[in-house]
Amino acid sequence: MIILETRGLKYTYPDGTAAVQDLNIEIKKGKKVAFVGQNGSGKSTLFLLLNGTLKPAEGEVLFHGVPFKYDSKSLREIRKSVGIVFQNSDDQIFAPTVYQDVAFGPANLGYPKERVDVCVHHALEQVGLSRLKDKPPHHLSGGQKKRVAIAGIMAMEPEVIILDEPLSNLDPVGADEIIDLLNEFNQFGSTIIISTHDVDLAYRWSDYVYIMSNSKLIGQGTPAEVFKEQELLKKAGLRQPTTLEIYHEIERRGLAYGRNSPKTIPELVSTLKPLDLMWVDVPPRVREGDSLNIGVMYGEYATQSPYEAINATVLHIHPGGRAIVELKRKGIKAGGVLLYDTDSYSLEEVNQILKEGEFVFVGAMGKKSKTLAEQDGIHLDVTSGVIDKSILMALCGKRCLILTAGGMVDHALKRIKDYVDKSGIEFTVGVVNRENGCQWIEDADKNPEALKI
Amino acid sequence: MTNILDDYALMSPLRHRNNWLKLAIVFFGLLAGVSSTSPITPLFIALCMSFATVGLGNTPIKLYFKLLLAPMGFAVIGVLIIAFFSGSGPEMLAFELLGYPLSIRTDGFELALLVLSRSISGMCCLYFLALSTPMIELFAVLKASRLPESLIELSMLIYRYIFVFLDMAICIRYAQTVRLGYSNFKRSINSLGMLASTLFIRSWEQGDKLFLAMNSRCYDGKMTLFEVHRPVKASELLLTSAYFLSTLALFYFTKNISIV
Repeated sequence: MIILETRGLKYTYPDGTAAVQDLNIEIKKGKKVAFVGQNGSGKSTLFLLLNGTLKPAEGEVLFHGVPFKYDSKSLREIRKSVGIVFQNSDDQIFAPTVYQDVAFGPANLGYPKERVDVCVHHALEQVGLSRLKDKPPHHLSGGQKKRVAIAGIMAMEPEVIILDEPLSNLDPVGADEIIDLLNEFNQFGSTIIISTHDVDLAYRWSDYVYIMSNSKLIGQGTPAEVFKEQELLKKAGLRQPTTLEIYHEIERRGLAYGRNSPKTIPELVSTLKPLDLMWVDVPPRVREGDSLNIGVMYGEYATQSPYEAINATVLHIHPGGRAIVELKRKGIKAGGVLLYDTDSYSLEEVNQILKEGEFVFVGAMGKKSKTLAEQDGIHLDVTSGVIDKSILMALCGKRCLILTAGGMVDHALKRIKDYVDKSGIEFTVGVVNRENGCQWIEDADKNPEALKI
Repeated sequence: MTNILDDYALMSPLRHRNNWLKLAIVFFGLLAGVSSTSPITPLFIALCMSFATVGLGNTPIKLYFKLLLAPMGFAVIGVLIIAFFSGSGPEMLAFELLGYPLSIRTDGFELALLVLSRSISGMCCLYFLALSTPMIELFAVLKASRLPESLIELSMLIYRYIFVFLDMAICIRYAQTVRLGYSNFKRSINSLGMLASTLFIRSWEQGDKLFLAMNSRCYDGKMTLFEVHRPVKASELLLTSAYFLSTLALFYFTKNISIV
């Protein structure tokens, strides 16, 4: 059942800038919905529209299928049913004591004194603040103020609760408490809408996600669907949720079962594959703990790169020369990272490198390089955490090109070399435009093994 | 967060007693103290009120004396002047200061003592009220005394936002201090001006936000004030009556007494 709906919603600020444009959303009853987007993407304005506080310039908002009317009686009904909790609790709490603030809403609904009292006590009990009801708000901590603000809305018993950035400025424990509280309200049937720029929260907590950017809706779906789309996230100025990112890296290494979207750490752990074990026939004198060279595998047996040299450790020897071994894979054709110095840049050259070098992953570091890439329409796969991501890609046998300039070239080179030294995993690294042309690619085509650092 | 009197009042166990009873005690103390003709009654009142504030209200005794010290300073200066320059009757004490003869006479001394004791009793009574009744309790009293609703609503909002703006001002001041905004006199004046103007703009914005916040909770032009009902207990009534009666008795018996 759809509880809140907007059709072609548009709102413009008095100075002419559009805050919300052409917005069509349908919010189902009893769901946990998150609006994700950068600061200033129009989330807060949308919330004020959903609560009837602002009147749209075009389009309409529907509650239970009935369009909002903006006379004072209808507005009262809407505001009773759709409660909104502001980002800054100090903006919302205005009465001198906690009790009086929570009682403000129910009293305005014209309830008799006894009923107001019941509402307030119930709401304060739910948020666990009955003890503090006679305190003035300036004696409360940030988390407690937030809970008072939520209680003030809960006391009006709304069907939909909207929270603008509910976890901003809260410590981790305070944030967890608020989330537990929201889940509890949801269990009792309330529809909960939050706005956030915390992708981890939206991914983990919500049933349905709307992605907003520049006052427009650019994506929607279940968290698993939405956060899979890298392009969409990049457009919205967001990143992938941490759990999902870790999962993708593990999966790419063949250590986890594919096509999952784990939301919590336990879910992530349960996608892990057991160790690579295999039955093999071994020569007679091999003992447990010995190493065996099994040879080169390819095709579906090579999970990380096109060809893999496989060493095995013998774990257990069965009578009759059969043994259980643990496989250790080593990619033969490892990937590499190429740094392109944009101090002397030519689009032609970059295009040639991209074409000839089989690069699947391109990143840019530094504002200058990013601007250049944008100007010339070079597709960038990554613009933040470039070095780390390139190392990860190289480890999976992919080739990466990083566009960067000046001192950052040395910095990147040093980081990658450090990684190679520490981990003992070898892949190729090269710099173009610095020394003698495009050395790395020429060498790589002839003999991949010669390219260790 | 205990830096203003209101905070101590909020923590006082006496906060949860009947406000009218506290007010009655204070007004009785003030009237009896001022109308007494001997210094003994006011001193008795001061003692009882101090005991109530410190003993029953758990106000830190150090703070209480510190608070008393400030008005006491003024009182003592005034009293000294009265003692030296007024009254008639036999001289008690006389000496010369830089060639000027100075003397205290019995009448003047008695008057000075009376003024001192009256002012101490008045201070103690008012501190009892200030340290046992926070502002948030007084709103109900204001309402019951038939003040205009809008005045009470305004005072409630003002009370709340004093603390919001106080926090804001402290933050801004800190931000200015760490960037050497108060390093010399000229800069201090400049910084203070900026602080004031920023606070003004912020309070303007806060007003907008406040209206939004109230509107989104169906504000219809009036804030209801919920008075907590606190019946006077028998023990409180007994203690108060005992105090009233003993004060009145003392008042009567020391009517014509003279100290000197």
